[in-house]
Amino acid sequence: MIVETQELTRMYRLGASVIMAVNKVSLEIKESTFVSIAGPSGSGKTTLLHLIGLNDRPTSGKVFFKNEDTSLLSHRERREIRLRNIGFVFQTFNLLPTLTALENVELPMALAKIPPKLQREKAIQLLEAVGLTGRLQHRSKELSTGEMQRVAIARALANDPLLILADEPTGELDSETGYEIIKLLLRLCRTHKTTVVVATHDERVAKASDVKYSMRDGLITRDVGL
Amino acid sequence: MIIKILLPILIIFTPMTTRIIDRIIYVLRTIVIGLKPIQSSKSSERKDYATRITMMCLRNLLRRRFRTSLCLFGVSLATIFIVAIGATTTNYTAVIREMNIFFSGDVVVVAEGAMVIQAFPVMGGNLPVSVAEKVQQVNGVKTAVPMLVRFGYQVEAVIQLAPTNVSIGIPPGNWSVLVGHTPLKPGGNWPSGDPGKKEVVVGPSLAGQYDLAVSSKVKVENTSLTVIGILDTRSALLSRSIILPLKLAQRLYYGHTMWINMVVAKPEEYGIQEQVANRIEEGIEGLEALTTHERHEIIEPLLHDVETWTLGLNSVLSLLSMILVTTVAMMNVSERRRDFATLDAIGAPKSAIFRMVITETMLIGLLGGLAGILLGSIAAILIASFYTNIPLSMFFFDLFNIVSPLFMMKILASTAAVSCVAGVIPAIAASRMNISEVLRSEY
Repeated sequence: MIVETQELTRMYRLGASVIMAVNKVSLEIKESTFVSIAGPSGSGKTTLLHLIGLNDRPTSGKVFFKNEDTSLLSHRERREIRLRNIGFVFQTFNLLPTLTALENVELPMALAKIPPKLQREKAIQLLEAVGLTGRLQHRSKELSTGEMQRVAIARALANDPLLILADEPTGELDSETGYEIIKLLLRLCRTHKTTVVVATHDERVAKASDVKYSMRDGLITRDVGL
Repeated sequence: MIIKILLPILIIFTPMTTRIIDRIIYVLRTIVIGLKPIQSSKSSERKDYATRITMMCLRNLLRRRFRTSLCLFGVSLATIFIVAIGATTTNYTAVIREMNIFFSGDVVVVAEGAMVIQAFPVMGGNLPVSVAEKVQQVNGVKTAVPMLVRFGYQVEAVIQLAPTNVSIGIPPGNWSVLVGHTPLKPGGNWPSGDPGKKEVVVGPSLAGQYDLAVSSKVKVENTSLTVIGILDTRSALLSRSIILPLKLAQRLYYGHTMWINMVVAKPEEYGIQEQVANRIEEGIEGLEALTTHERHEIIEPLLHDVETWTLGLNSVLSLLSMILVTTVAMMNVSERRRDFATLDAIGAPKSAIFRMVITETMLIGLLGGLAGILLGSIAAILIASFYTNIPLSMFFFDLFNIVSPLFMMKILASTAAVSCVAGVIPAIAASRMNISEVLRSEY
């Protein structure tokens, strides 16, 4: 089991009212699987991904990463896990605008203090793998949305993570490009043996996934296994 | 292009500074929360990491060109004022303090009510030449040398803070009372004492300005005088002086030889300067006898005030530039919330984010400081030339005497330090962002 959550709850205070973004979610994610979490906007998908990705701490409940209770970890240890074991793909790509495609992919490796030569070689290799051979020196504003998402995927793969968390990766893309991205994520999952968790309301992603979850009002309402 | 030029320069010292910042953060973290030491990485990876951060910072600054330029302009402007005012006041106070080196240990006798700056009467107070003989008679006085000192202001020029030159009349044979062991440049001689010969010795700065050499002619009070020697000195006062026999000076300035305006009394032995001064004041009416300490006390409070005001002005300017840098850095941080949250999400340590913001503000400080020092030095030269009426060209060759390299380094270091401090609040704001909140709200 790469990730397991137990009674995971995340509440937000919005003025006087309390919003239950994630409500006692318990799920298990096996290694090398393609998992989709479907649901409408505001259902709690993003919050759940941030909790699983150790970007946020739950109000109650636990997240186990490789059977380790992450609630006991310090900020620094959680950051180390994010750096070395988790890759993020965001809906709005979140590429650093001042860096080129190549530098964006090299960045997580630089943070992991990987030798510069290896960073360069691997970044080129990853960008080639996502089909961006000719766009290495282009900055994000010079790339199309589909290309930006490919760079974001390459960046997520930079440190050979065990888990990739993709939050609405096709949300900003047209239908055809979105389909290409899903195929790319699936291919990566199969070839790199990486676990991919995708939050989406794209029906095609749900159909392509090994395990499907549905969320509504912070609750996991459906759990369909293979 | 700018990146290509600046990056190598900045990479040389930015990693060094950021490493110091890292070290401070590490030590503080270790002390405050007892974290275990961070595993050290190889120097090539550290260099790559520092280079990457510096490059990102430079690009971020260049991305917001207009704002960065305005901020640099503000920092430069503050630095220009700090350098120009600092260098000018430092020079003037140094020159004034140097004046007290003259006649150190001696008693300077002037007419009561004369305005004295350090060892020299600058205004009023003529004395009959016979005063020197009376002073000589006072118990404890070894020698009493009468002198006539005239500061030359070119009245047609704008307001002059400093005199253009100083004429000093002194009895021949007593030159050393004024110049000590200062030699003349090769080929020069001291005036013979015959006022009819109209011989003078000039300082090197005056000689340079008016292209004077031995046997050149110089006009003082519409009288043509012959230069027979040029002093070999770096003293600010002597450099601008015209030294001539007392009688010649008296004829030039009074038309007769009855008046002088100061007497230098040398005590018979060391340590009785004050007693001698008291005896002179008690024994001869209408005189003021000033010891080294008293002369110093006259001007020191004024110099102290000038220095305090300069320091105050510099502090205000530094504070203003700090507020400017903080404001701009805060704007940059709030516009890049998503970038910082992304960095955090992909595993960048908080210290890296902190360091990025600090590096950016430090770069503003360094670049603004460099520009400010360059322009401020030019301004200091212009001020010096404007207020002394000495040609600009003479100051350019003497730039490092007006604005010393040490002063430049101090200003650069303090500008960088002020900018670093200015970046602390924005850096904390950037490194303490809640990733999930930011990423959610940015969609």
